[in-house]
Amino acid sequence: MLAWLPWLLAAAALPVGAPALAQGSQVVVCEKCHGNRDFITGRVGAGHDSALYVPAAVLEDTRHRGLRCTECHRGFEAGYPHQVTAKVVPCQTCHESEGRDWTASIHAANAAATGDAPTCVRCHGTHRVYGAADRQSPTHPLNVAALCGSCHADARIIGTYFSAADKAQARTAVMQYFQTVHGTALTRDGLVVSATCNDCHGAHKVLPADSAASSVNRANIPRTCGACHVGVAEVFEHSAHGAKGPRMQADTLRRPVCTDCHTAHAIVRADQPQWQLSVVEECGSCHEKVYETYFETYHGQVTRLGSGLAAKCSDCHTAHSMLPASALGSSVFPGNRLATCRKCHAGANENFARYYAHGDPTQRAKYPLLFWPWLFMTALLVGVMGFFLLHTALWLTRLAINRVRARHAPTGASA
Amino acid sequence: MTRPLDASRRGAGPYLWRFTPMERVLHALVIVSFLGLVITGLPLRFSYAPWARTLIRLVGGLQAAGSIHRICALITFGYFFAHIAHLTYRLLHTTDKLGIFWGPNSMVPQPKDVRDVVQMFKWFLGRGPQPQFDRFSYMEKFDYWGVFWGVAIIGTSGLFLWFPEFFARIFPGWVFNVATIIHGDEALLALSFIFTIHFFNVHLRPEKFPIDTVIFTGRATTEYIKEEHPLQYERLQREGKTEALVAPPASDAAYLWSVIFGFTSLGLGILMIVLVLWAFLH
Repeated sequence: MLAWLPWLLAAAALPVGAPALAQGSQVVVCEKCHGNRDFITGRVGAGHDSALYVPAAVLEDTRHRGLRCTECHRGFEAGYPHQVTAKVVPCQTCHESEGRDWTASIHAANAAATGDAPTCVRCHGTHRVYGAADRQSPTHPLNVAALCGSCHADARIIGTYFSAADKAQARTAVMQYFQTVHGTALTRDGLVVSATCNDCHGAHKVLPADSAASSVNRANIPRTCGACHVGVAEVFEHSAHGAKGPRMQADTLRRPVCTDCHTAHAIVRADQPQWQLSVVEECGSCHEKVYETYFETYHGQVTRLGSGLAAKCSDCHTAHSMLPASALGSSVFPGNRLATCRKCHAGANENFARYYAHGDPTQRAKYPLLFWPWLFMTALLVGVMGFFLLHTALWLTRLAINRVRARHAPTGASA
Repeated sequence: MTRPLDASRRGAGPYLWRFTPMERVLHALVIVSFLGLVITGLPLRFSYAPWARTLIRLVGGLQAAGSIHRICALITFGYFFAHIAHLTYRLLHTTDKLGIFWGPNSMVPQPKDVRDVVQMFKWFLGRGPQPQFDRFSYMEKFDYWGVFWGVAIIGTSGLFLWFPEFFARIFPGWVFNVATIIHGDEALLALSFIFTIHFFNVHLRPEKFPIDTVIFTGRATTEYIKEEHPLQYERLQREGKTEALVAPPASDAAYLWSVIFGFTSLGLGILMIVLVLWAFLH
């Protein structure tokens, strides 16, 4: 057995040793000129030298360590200076799927049309390609927003490349992002798992939201956000609003998605009262009737005045797993209602839970118990005020008439 | 000090007592607590109005508004039961027990009040003389019973809304919907009535304009009693009881505070009416 060992070692060493040797010699060849700054500067002038001065060591700490110069730089003949037809091998030669994604993106289309859009090297660099996990890479999570922002916070880029409908949002998107819970998690808390541009928009297949293939298209938003918010996506997809829920299968375009409540670039923590009120408005944009009746209740009234304590839509209906009251799993299903009330009203009982959270006294057929007291109170209000306003109006009129008569009647004459 | 603003100082004659210290204190408590309740409750009833949030901010936020509302509710229950207790005390200690329930010194509506209402409308329409009132006109009785009914019904519904978990032990859940309706609508009626009709009847009509401090100082001139309550004056003269009611004029300080307190209350009340109208038109 041991007698075989030297042979095995030699066989294992051969394929590794041979290219290493070849690469070494090739690098040495390029290095002779491109590793000599004085020589390069002498040939091309100080203005171009930094692009051509590429010492071999530059790849040492990159993801491309071990590649030979000629694996990317091809198409020039031997001899110096090189032909201007010298070509860089397209990155997708190796990075196939990334190349495919980028080719499908709005960046590729604009790069082909105007040359004014990022190609691989704009984001990844030329020789210093570190990979997203490397802190010094522009594509590291902590650097991405600045990288994308270098174009997307630029008024010229927005003015030229964004549709009229998208311009307004595009102008504020990058700045807003830094204020959001996602942005501050990165910039303030240094949390690299927080979403940055590419987590929602894709790194390579960046497409406008109105494109069906875009990760930020309405239809794809739950999946995009759900990539990180796995637990929320799970319950949401089975909720009344979810694609797998009881209501929305036939009507996927009308259903609300994450960004309708949470917005795209102004995302704030869900415990901010100002945001909570905006969500009530959002619910009301479809659920119009219950929105109105909600504001007839104490819950709605103090919420509208800025309370963060009183029940809002999501406090009873849940934020993501809402279901119709007729569904067994619904938080407002009759059998579950008491538990829902008790989240705030610890001492609530069955009676308490039969409160009409959206009672409308004007609907006589549906709420007869509320209709009659309401009618009585309204009649009392109108009756009493009507009677006494008439009383007052007549009184004033009589006093005015008497005053005018007293002025015009001769003294001592009877009125 | 001349007191040009005060209707209770009209004409000549010595001052006569009209309200007891107890009545004046209770009425001041009614004013303070009612204004507190309206200012902190109105923003909820009209939460959609553009002024609602501002008003809440002015009183120190929602938490403060809630506390003020409940403190004023306690004051309301306080004066309500103080009055009941006082009535009971009087009933037990007076020799004229019937007088509390009937006759010119009673707040109970009587046939003469109905005749006075009819007569008042006849006078409005120019078909007869103005009715002559005794100690309490039908309007004053309506104010009195309005507060009685209002405190009972707003107070009860308010307690339901204050302690829903307790009341749900006995009552079904829909009573809280009904309590919300009653509380809001009856409060709207109360403030609409007091800040327009009551204000007009006792302060703003030409004979009283701009203010009548009799409820604060407790006294008015004989001339005032003769004009506003002629039957009472005749009765007092007939029975020889006028002398016993003669009062010294109120001090300058009492007059000043009455006017300041009265105008502040009038102003706040009228402001509330403006806010309600604003909300309705919005």
